[in-house]
Amino acid sequence: MEAMAGKADATMSKVEPQSERSAPQRPAALKLRVTSDPAFLAPVRRSVEHFSGQAGLDVKAAGELGLCVNEAMANVTRHAYGGATDKPVEVDVDFDGEAVRVRLRDWGHGHEPPTEPKHDPLKPGGIGLVCLKQLLDGFEFTKLPDGMRLTMKRNLNHGRAS
Amino acid sequence: MNPLKTDSELVPSARKEGQFVIAALCGEIDLHNSPELRHVILTLMQQNAPQRLVLNLMQVPYMDSSAVAVLVEALQKMRKVGGKIFLTNLQPRVQGLLEIARLSSVFTIVLDEPEALTP
Repeated sequence: MEAMAGKADATMSKVEPQSERSAPQRPAALKLRVTSDPAFLAPVRRSVEHFSGQAGLDVKAAGELGLCVNEAMANVTRHAYGGATDKPVEVDVDFDGEAVRVRLRDWGHGHEPPTEPKHDPLKPGGIGLVCLKQLLDGFEFTKLPDGMRLTMKRNLNHGRAS
Repeated sequence: MNPLKTDSELVPSARKEGQFVIAALCGEIDLHNSPELRHVILTLMQQNAPQRLVLNLMQVPYMDSSAVAVLVEALQKMRKVGGKIFLTNLQPRVQGLLEIARLSSVFTIVLDEPEALTP
């Protein structure tokens, strides 16, 4: 992979949103194809937050979903890819009228994280899963033959099932 | 007041006042740039051996868990030498993450620099 620019903004050209849906009242689905380089964390997070705002999430809710995506992507780089920064990551975002869903796909080792996060505030690690548990209305790890897919859901009416 | 050089856009200004080192952080901090933040903060601590480290987060609208890990590492190093770390001017998203990480009561969080510097 070519060397990344120092500023995350410089990587935006490598994020390729594509329209999938034409319903005028809903934001078009996003397909973001990036690598596991942490330089992509900020542009992907901002894209998800912008999409979530268009879908109707308020600024705080959109930011919380963005944080979850940030943490999940960082865990893909750190754990699924063992720190490698040139591996593929796909982020698909859509809105069904009730919830924003983010699907994060990697082709790493496919190990599912523990269901119950064990987080000691003074030890590194574990905050990402705590974020998923506290800030989302649902998330699911799906083990695939060649990696993992994490689906994250945030309802417009946070806390209610959709 | 003694200005300190950091050579990092993440910590554009720092100074030493007696036992205090006061550093202003700037920008969104995630796994991409948190290693740089770690280097700058640990270098400031190593070179100046402060008893009180004040990190002004007014210009930090966002950080992720990797940045929080840097703050925790700094906290633990300060505790080892009997020192203390203050976080000031927290922005809502940073405050929220510290609460999620159950760290808002672990750090000494104050409103602003003058409050941190008050004996």
